[in-house]
Amino acid sequence: MTIAGVAETYTDLVTTVFSSTIAAKAWFASAALILALVQVTTAARIYGKLSFLPERGPTIARIHRWSGRIAFLCTLPVFFHCVTILGFQTPDARVAIHSIVGTFVYGVFVAKVLIVRDHSLPGWALPTAGLSLASILVVLWLTSALWYFTTVRFGF
Amino acid sequence: MGRGWRPILIGGAVAVGTFALAQAQVFAPSAPAGGAAAAGDSSRGETVFQRECAGCHGDGGKGGGVGPALFETGLDAAEVSAVVQQGRGVMPAGIVTGQEQADVVAYVVSVSSPSG
Repeated sequence: MTIAGVAETYTDLVTTVFSSTIAAKAWFASAALILALVQVTTAARIYGKLSFLPERGPTIARIHRWSGRIAFLCTLPVFFHCVTILGFQTPDARVAIHSIVGTFVYGVFVAKVLIVRDHSLPGWALPTAGLSLASILVVLWLTSALWYFTTVRFGF
Repeated sequence: MGRGWRPILIGGAVAVGTFALAQAQVFAPSAPAGGAAAAGDSSRGETVFQRECAGCHGDGGKGGGVGPALFETGLDAAEVSAVVQQGRGVMPAGIVTGQEQADVVAYVVSVSSPSG
């Protein structure tokens, strides 16, 4: 398969379900955002906050881990199209903010995963990394999916 | 340097790698040679246009949204292809690709052709 053929194959694959690659990204990003909110909520519960939620324990921890894994999977097609096909662009403020913030998303994700596994770090490190990652996803969603749904069309 | 810097350094390296990958656009489709557009079907393109483009360019490309009117503006296929592929202003690059792009280009060229 040629390099140009990869983009064509990706488009063909995605448009079997969605109307366009941009629509697919908008919905994958929305799913990732919802799962990121689940991540923040369950993390808060793990840290003893939001006591109105079910008791913290293995179930909350399992929901936290799996929502993170699925959110990561949802970002992969978005990453593929944004980074390897469209690239870094700055034609206007919205796209520039999206490009700049998007550059950091996997860097912050990797840092967060490393912080989870390093128990020698101070207690504030993990919530800071987690909230940074969630904030990045919110900004990326606002500058892409929300723009698409409100400006172009709301649909699959 | 303390061990605490490791996540930040590795995360920073991943961000730099992401930026490099984005600059390379390794899978971006190249423009057709000589600016020639692939064969498109304007009737199929009209359907795609109404779905993806009319929100900004108006029904039939007659304007009314955030994008410019395209009707009777004399655009050629190479110019339309370039804008669809690369984006312009608030319009994102690659909003339609592949055969749909060729079809939309054919449709936009047909509506932008001056009728007089």
